[in-house]
Amino acid sequence: MDATPHKEQPTPSPEDTRDVRSASLLSIAWKQFLKHPLARFSLTILAILYTLAAFADFVAPYPERFLNAYATFQPPSSIYLCDDDGNFVRPYTYRMIKSIDMQTFETIWEEDRSQRYPIRFFVRRDNVLDRYVPFPVNLIPPQLRNALGIRPWASLHLFGVDDPTDQVKLHLWGTDDVGGDIFGKVMFGARVSLTVGIIAAFVSVVIGMMMGGIAGYFGGWVDEIIMRLIEALSAIPDLFLLIALSAVFYPLNLPSSTVFLLVVVVLSMIGWGGIARSIRGLVLSMRERDFTYAARALGSSNTRIITRHLLPNTFSFIIVNISLIIPGFIVTESVLSFFGLGIQPPATSWGLMLSTAQSFAGVSGLTERWWIFIPGFFIFISVLTWNLLGDGLRDAFDPKSRR
Amino acid sequence: MFVYILRRFVNLIPTFFLATMLAWIVVDIAPGDFASQFAFDQVDPNRAERIRQSLGLDQPWYVRYGFWMRNLLTDFSFGISMTSRGEVTDLIVPRMLNSLRLLLPATLLIFIIAIPIGVYSALNKYSVGDRILTVFSLIGLAIPNFFLALIFLAFAVQWYQAFDFFLIPTGGMTSQNYSQLSAWGKLIDSLWHLAAPLIVVAISSLAFITRIMRGEMLEVLGQDYIRTARAKGLAENVVNYKHALRNAILVIVATIGGILPGLIGGAGTVEFVLGWPGITPLLIRSIFAQDVYVIMAILTIITILLMIGNLISDLALALIDPRIRY
Repeated sequence: MDATPHKEQPTPSPEDTRDVRSASLLSIAWKQFLKHPLARFSLTILAILYTLAAFADFVAPYPERFLNAYATFQPPSSIYLCDDDGNFVRPYTYRMIKSIDMQTFETIWEEDRSQRYPIRFFVRRDNVLDRYVPFPVNLIPPQLRNALGIRPWASLHLFGVDDPTDQVKLHLWGTDDVGGDIFGKVMFGARVSLTVGIIAAFVSVVIGMMMGGIAGYFGGWVDEIIMRLIEALSAIPDLFLLIALSAVFYPLNLPSSTVFLLVVVVLSMIGWGGIARSIRGLVLSMRERDFTYAARALGSSNTRIITRHLLPNTFSFIIVNISLIIPGFIVTESVLSFFGLGIQPPATSWGLMLSTAQSFAGVSGLTERWWIFIPGFFIFISVLTWNLLGDGLRDAFDPKSRR
Repeated sequence: MFVYILRRFVNLIPTFFLATMLAWIVVDIAPGDFASQFAFDQVDPNRAERIRQSLGLDQPWYVRYGFWMRNLLTDFSFGISMTSRGEVTDLIVPRMLNSLRLLLPATLLIFIIAIPIGVYSALNKYSVGDRILTVFSLIGLAIPNFFLALIFLAFAVQWYQAFDFFLIPTGGMTSQNYSQLSAWGKLIDSLWHLAAPLIVVAISSLAFITRIMRGEMLEVLGQDYIRTARAKGLAENVVNYKHALRNAILVIVATIGGILPGLIGGAGTVEFVLGWPGITPLLIRSIFAQDVYVIMAILTIITILLMIGNLISDLALALIDPRIRY
């Protein structure tokens, strides 16, 4: 061996060294996904939206139930960066004063320019009622939190107006018909609107996988019953079934966390059928594939075949499908709340906020009170980005569209 | 073919019974009933119970389902509305026709516009036109129907305030002076009122079908037989429109039944926002009043319509696809 002349090996190019390690499905998909500019962009936007939702108490200047009874339909407060001489100063705002035009009886909002109120960042509003539970801890349900003795303690807010008398309120995006701060409500509403879709999608996928797997693997009368049930469910139009289902819990006056769970349940009742049907098809075809026969010939049990051979093969389908049904659920939740059958006040969601716009869109135009349409813009953005993310994931998992 | 239609039709019967039964159960598990609103009558505390008994609401759901189904099958009667005290059928049929007046043109519009756009996008893949259309369809897919309808409504009011006349009406199906208009005036008035809801209803499904059509057309254009057709020296138009389009359009025909529920739902929210006296506003009103027979009649009629839509879609597929023979 030593005698043989040392033959120079071709130096491997960076691509080659990267391909030496065998890549898993997920890592290939992730690489493909990152090559998709729109998908990357949507992932960023969604990350921002979800972060805002998680830290809503911190980002919003006022608590979720805060109502400014004086200011109904107050236009967004203006923020000024320059003083009269054009020099940059600490951002400040003016107090908004309401008056009534005696000719038309319209409310007129004017800034009281006599005093400036500076806006400060990282302020504390140390009022017992205003305290909140920050992000990771607020995932614990309130009942359990109370049992554990966790009381709201945090009082830090991202920004706030510096006014010792606490008379001046900062409404970045104006207020709604009862004086709720739209900016804060959008942040708090994001919690419901953005998570309802994800949770409902996961629940539907779990039910769909169970039902579809059972129907596809065992066949026979089990299959027949499950498929008939799915057929009957899909025969009733989704929206109408949803409305009827929501009516089940609408009269009960339940706490908002329970209503949230019920909306999830209702959405997943609608969503699992389609997934179960697809999973059943996949399982049916895979049952007859060579690798399943090989596994069976090697003596694998049914459980092993299902968990190690059949379900992993539906994995990419599941991931793509989850991301594609989430936007649908986001819209459906907003429609339900819009009809008054979903989330109930004082809890809030984007759809519920738009029902305010519904009551007043007929009497005022686009330019006056335009700020009550802001939640709709957020629904639009989140659905758009989820759609793009789903498209990106589908391409990433599809071997035919590798780049 | 006839046997196939018959078999499909017979298959629908158990689905119909199961679907109505499910709907009935869903409506029944809602707490309280129509009589609950009289429970706090100070003068006559037994009033709620009496109303409950007179309406038969004290019976278990399967008994009422049995009676209801018997009436439906023997007299085509959906029962009597508890709130309006009239035949449910009389209440629903005009509403249903109003909804169809919105839905049928919308469906037609969607297919007339979506298929050419999808084909154009696929044939000019990644061109400027395709990119613009893709952006538009992404926006159309993401904007919720009811939000778009709200924007239309606010825009109509804005226009009225600025120019003192209505560019698009703010709601309803006809103007107030409708009965005094001439025949042509009536037609134009109805079309004018139809325009805004029609556009809003069509947009999201339009975007959806365009995306499917584009994807399907691209899929077909990548097939071997297209290459063969080109290799034979066929004209590009023949390849595109005879070989590719005819295959790609099959999927669209198959999805007609699939998009109907979404279309009905989407139209429902638009009806609600734009004051179109269709079926969904009635459903929501009945839900809040717990008027069981109206709710059930709406669910049943829509379910039947949906099943017929699916059936037609399957039959159309069998008709135009020479590979499917029954």
